[in-house]
Amino acid sequence: MQHAIEHQPSYSLLNLSMDRGDRILTDSGAMAWMAGPLEVKTSTRGGVFQGLKRKLLAGESFFQNEYTAAGDGCELALAPGSAGDLVEYPMTGQELLLERGAYLASTGSVVCDSKWDGLKGLFNQGLFILRCTGEGSLFFHAYGDIQCVDVDGEYVIDNGYAVAWEPSLQYSLTRARKIRSFLFGDQLLLRFSGRGRVWVQSRSPQSLANFVHPFRRVQRKNNS
Amino acid sequence: MDITLQPNGAFHSALVHLEPGDQFKSDSGAMFRASSNVDNDVTTISRGGGLLAGLKRMAGGDTFFLSTYQTTGGEGGEVGVAPTLQGHVAQVDVESSQSWLCAGGSFLGCDGHMDLTPRFQGMKGMFSGENLFFMEVSGAGPLLVGAYGSIREVPVDGELVVDTGHVVAFESSLSYTLSKTGGSWLTSYLAGEGFVLRFKGQGRLLVQSHNPREFGAMLGRRLPPRRG
Repeated sequence: MQHAIEHQPSYSLLNLSMDRGDRILTDSGAMAWMAGPLEVKTSTRGGVFQGLKRKLLAGESFFQNEYTAAGDGCELALAPGSAGDLVEYPMTGQELLLERGAYLASTGSVVCDSKWDGLKGLFNQGLFILRCTGEGSLFFHAYGDIQCVDVDGEYVIDNGYAVAWEPSLQYSLTRARKIRSFLFGDQLLLRFSGRGRVWVQSRSPQSLANFVHPFRRVQRKNNS
Repeated sequence: MDITLQPNGAFHSALVHLEPGDQFKSDSGAMFRASSNVDNDVTTISRGGGLLAGLKRMAGGDTFFLSTYQTTGGEGGEVGVAPTLQGHVAQVDVESSQSWLCAGGSFLGCDGHMDLTPRFQGMKGMFSGENLFFMEVSGAGPLLVGAYGSIREVPVDGELVVDTGHVVAFESSLSYTLSKTGGSWLTSYLAGEGFVLRFKGQGRLLVQSHNPREFGAMLGRRLPPRRG
């Protein structure tokens, strides 16, 4: 199987050339176009319970699709839901944690499981993150540019901008000390500590939604 | 202070490297990454009002909260800032002899030792949520502006008319008047043109290729109404 990430960094797309027997696991809805004898198997991957957990808890799709080439010369293009960057992360048995919604596809034995984020809470407006394990390639995406930060010590990322990080990093959600600072979105910060890499996106879908919100029409209270 | 622009594709951002003693001021919502030794102090900018006045304006879609960043512990640090919308970031090197006016939504940040003076324009909120607010930036240092779309510099010599939604920043040597496009209020309204700025004089002007207000309106009218 050969792959190329095309149109980086703004309109990234994952293009795969697959020969007989090649397999890739994708987020449902990621397929943009395909050619050749590809077999699609939709599964909850790990059973209904795992699927439900991913859907309800981590905000990922209930289903994941498995594409298997039944012949040579197949082509498959996978597109993320938003404009932005795409990262290939080689997995050799280690673990990677993903922000919900960042998963695009994986090869080999890489699987994703949702992880209860415990009392750290509030992470990215959700309580669960994805934990990816196995061997192969993992592809994740985000809205905006993706920047990799090598953390050695501590680093702070605005809540909603962290895309992925290595499990060697601890993190906690912190608030600014001042009461009035609590009023602002960027005062909920993720503080990473330890040694490892964290990937940051340069735009936030939540900020975009907040930008659009005031432009919505206003419904009067006594609408007649 | 050293600023690295990160002009990656359609989503530009900027990484500001701070040495001990350096300060960087930015729109509170612009920061997305920072070293852990960077301290953030938030203040509001308002027309004489306190915190509440600031909140009211925030509900109108604009944040006029300023964060001042500086490093602690005697070590250097960094702060990354980015605009909300898809678009470019540009750096303007402001000279002490010439201040700049920056559209409220385009202001990303500037050196903390520069002076910021809010300038509110009349006719606020007349038609379509038009909210004309400029930040006057004076003193020598770098100014960062963010845009929706690409940024283009248009030198003004004489007279130039720009839709308010496309103005990013301009030198204060330019005089400007806020007016409607032409004709009566009704034709102006029907033509879908909001307000324009009529610039006169000589100076530098930065414009953006797309109008955030138009984009917001385009999406807003397709969404279900919100509670008033």
